[in-house]
Amino acid sequence: MNWDRRAFVKFVVGAVGGLHASPLVPKLMDDVAIWTQNWSWVPVPEKGELLFANTYNPATGTACRVRRVQARLSGKRVIRVEGNPEHPICGGGVVPADVSMVQASYYNGMRVTSPVMRVSKSGVRRPVSWEAALEVLGRILGDLAQAGKAHTVAVVADDPYTVHGEMLMRLLAAYGSPNLVFQPSARDTLAVAGQVMFGQGEIGFDLANSLYTVSFGTPLLEGFGAPVATRKAFAAWRSDPKKRGVLVQVEPRASVTASQADLWLACAPGSEAAVALGICNLLIQAGAVSPAAAGAEGFEQFKALVREKFSPAQVEYLTGVSPRKLAEVAKGFAQAERAVAVCGPGNAGEPGRVNDFMAVLALNVLKGNLGRPGGVLVRRPLPLRPLGGEVSMPNVPRLDSDEQRPWGVGSLQTLAENALAGKPYPLSVLIVVNCNPVYSGPQAEVMQELCEKVPVLVSISPWMDETASMADIVLPAATFLEGWGDGANPYGSPQASYGIHRPLATINPQAASLGDCVLALAKAIGGPAAEALPFKSVEKALAARTADMGDFKKLYERGWWVQQQPDYGEFPLRTASGRVVLMSDQAKAMWEPPAALKALSYERPLLMAAVPSLRTGTGRQPLSPYMLKILDDTTLAHRDQLVVEMHPKTAEQLELKEGDLVRIASRAGHITARLHLFEGAAPGMVFVPVGLGHSAFGMCLKNKGANYYQAVEVEADPVSGLPQWGLTAVSVAKAGEVSHV
Amino acid sequence: MAWQAVKKAKRSPADWWLLVVGFVIFSALGFWVTPAILYAEKPQPFQFSHKVHAEAADGDCETCHYFRDDGSFSGIPGLAKCQECHGEGQDAEPQGDRLEEKVFVEKYLKRGRPVPWQVYARQPPCVFFSHAAHVANAGMECETCHGDHGQSDKLRPYQYNRLTGYSRDIWGWNILGIGGPPERMKMDDCAKCHHENGVRDSCFVCHK
Repeated sequence: MNWDRRAFVKFVVGAVGGLHASPLVPKLMDDVAIWTQNWSWVPVPEKGELLFANTYNPATGTACRVRRVQARLSGKRVIRVEGNPEHPICGGGVVPADVSMVQASYYNGMRVTSPVMRVSKSGVRRPVSWEAALEVLGRILGDLAQAGKAHTVAVVADDPYTVHGEMLMRLLAAYGSPNLVFQPSARDTLAVAGQVMFGQGEIGFDLANSLYTVSFGTPLLEGFGAPVATRKAFAAWRSDPKKRGVLVQVEPRASVTASQADLWLACAPGSEAAVALGICNLLIQAGAVSPAAAGAEGFEQFKALVREKFSPAQVEYLTGVSPRKLAEVAKGFAQAERAVAVCGPGNAGEPGRVNDFMAVLALNVLKGNLGRPGGVLVRRPLPLRPLGGEVSMPNVPRLDSDEQRPWGVGSLQTLAENALAGKPYPLSVLIVVNCNPVYSGPQAEVMQELCEKVPVLVSISPWMDETASMADIVLPAATFLEGWGDGANPYGSPQASYGIHRPLATINPQAASLGDCVLALAKAIGGPAAEALPFKSVEKALAARTADMGDFKKLYERGWWVQQQPDYGEFPLRTASGRVVLMSDQAKAMWEPPAALKALSYERPLLMAAVPSLRTGTGRQPLSPYMLKILDDTTLAHRDQLVVEMHPKTAEQLELKEGDLVRIASRAGHITARLHLFEGAAPGMVFVPVGLGHSAFGMCLKNKGANYYQAVEVEADPVSGLPQWGLTAVSVAKAGEVSHV
Repeated sequence: MAWQAVKKAKRSPADWWLLVVGFVIFSALGFWVTPAILYAEKPQPFQFSHKVHAEAADGDCETCHYFRDDGSFSGIPGLAKCQECHGEGQDAEPQGDRLEEKVFVEKYLKRGRPVPWQVYARQPPCVFFSHAAHVANAGMECETCHGDHGQSDKLRPYQYNRLTGYSRDIWGWNILGIGGPPERMKMDDCAKCHHENGVRDSCFVCHK
């Protein structure tokens, strides 16, 4: 054998062939392919023992069960939020806002990761220690109190029913400021309507047991009350074919609720209460009037009014609902064994008008469903103890006072407008707790102006939101997965319900429970403010608050307390006369056109309204990147362009086409969006999804769509003074070329 | 054609056997070297005897490997399950005189630290596998996939792929990837079984 070039080549060819015939090459290629699945940045659930814990999301009123992994070294990590099947109302359901809180909590791009403070000389914001932030804040507030200007400190908070809400009430009163306002809510409107008509505000709707439900302009399946509980009631209506519950939806847009309803009454915008009064008139004409209604205060006046102003023909003129359909609903409502008429927050979460709510409640009174299964019920008071003796309110005029209104409710909008006008005094410090008024307004432009002009802006929030991004001092708060807190009685709940959450994992080591932030603030101020909150921690405060709910450990491990059964058979009337009040000098079961209708003009010929969705919320809670993923092209097109809806005929009149880029402008502001033509949108209107268009929250959420609240023009309710932002007169004009969505 | 004849005459003998030798040597080398370079071994935290535990539990596997109320499966029982017999915290005591058990009690039970077992049958993170669907619903036996692991007295060496990090049991101990469960647990095996039993085998059934 000659070992020459040819022999060598043969050997090499054989060797290469041999290597390829062995598993080396194919196996390596296979493994390299698999290796590419395992980049270091691909999220992989931590390995470890699986643990379960119950908790409660106060933002949605959902009782949740959380899956955690006990990691070997790094403690517990939350991996999933699911429903708690043991909860008597929620029964194991969840909404996207619950599920996606895992991602939102762990995504540092959205979180306030440590206390932040603006350096006064350079104006640059820097991370600081908790001690440094509290020392400066304590000094500012202490100096103001010493100078007799404690009243120039205002606090805006999310929810008065929480432990931190009650703490803030005590803290601010003891400190010497009357200026504590909470985000406006339909709970306030229902409470006022309940107080006027029945002498008590703790009322709710027994949806689960109703067989005929008429919903007046409220997004029943898109965020009403505790959305999980409402959807569960809806599922129950549909599950029994022999006793199928009927749902009638009254609103101008073919919404999700309208499409799921048995009957959709497409009414003119803002005229839902007129439809309710039209049905009231038909019931009275047919003699289907309960004894409670017949003996009500102002019944004769009410009867005459609906007969004169809300006859079927007049209702058709006002609302566009035909007399035939009106009669069909009136008949169904009157004949149903258990029927309820429901009012609630508007599509953008606005509180609603007291007179409108009274008109809907009047319909319930006529039906005689007060205190009956499937009707309007009174909630039992929650067995919560106060956090201490009464703290007297300082004798200083409130910035949000609305004295000319008989049932005035402290309003964020009024506070902002008065503070900006310096009426009766300007603000020195604004502390925003767990809410984001710069984004969610109600009128975002006004809130932004207030936050820009106030000398010191403080934000206590889990999120680096629009407000926190502007704040001079930011304190990192915990989410419901990592901190103590509670929540109570979601809107419209027929029975008293309470939820409590506790730390289940250390997600942001710098974050403190909202209650602990308030306690730290009180301690930093010292004096009466600290004395008003003598608790070492919010955990101790919660234990004291819930002492009448049994063993504290058992309570927080279960995560909820719920009144066993709604109180059927009882509907105590606590009005002065002991009768239902339908009409009084201060408030009436009546309908007046909303101010936005009167504001329609040649320049602004359309009405803007919101599109509600459980996928986007109402903007008060942050979205997570996951929630953006579940939005389709009819909400967010081309990844970052908001899509608004308009009836094709309206678009034709305005010479607009599908996919046009349009500018929607009101007197308050403007937004830009893509146009989608939708037969289900009422003519003369433009429907804008709410909850998108943030300018903060990190790269995943920033600049995705446009913010509804930037074009909103707020009107005050004539009875409660609460801001209404459901309808705004706008102009819609082409702002760019067609891009198909 | 003369030049062709000359060239052929000068050519060396056709040493085709060299090609065969090269093929055989490098093919063998490939078979030998592939597992050696691809797989590494990790020690288990301590030895564990299924046999001893099965005897203590009267052969009832479900004492430790059970379905929770929510349908999830206690594949590797949590420390709480171990504590039921071995005691909790500082009260934990070895039940026998094996060294491994002392290690377990001192290092893990008393400190409340979960045992960092190397799991032979752990599927990649992109795979969603439900024991409930396979065992409770389809009635499959544990041995179909796990072989006689439940009767073992000692834990065999745990090998993992250096590139992917996955257990060698997934590809299988045969480097050619030949065979089926319990020797290996590749996607092909899942798909084959699903296909044979008329179960859906589209991507999102297992890959979430």
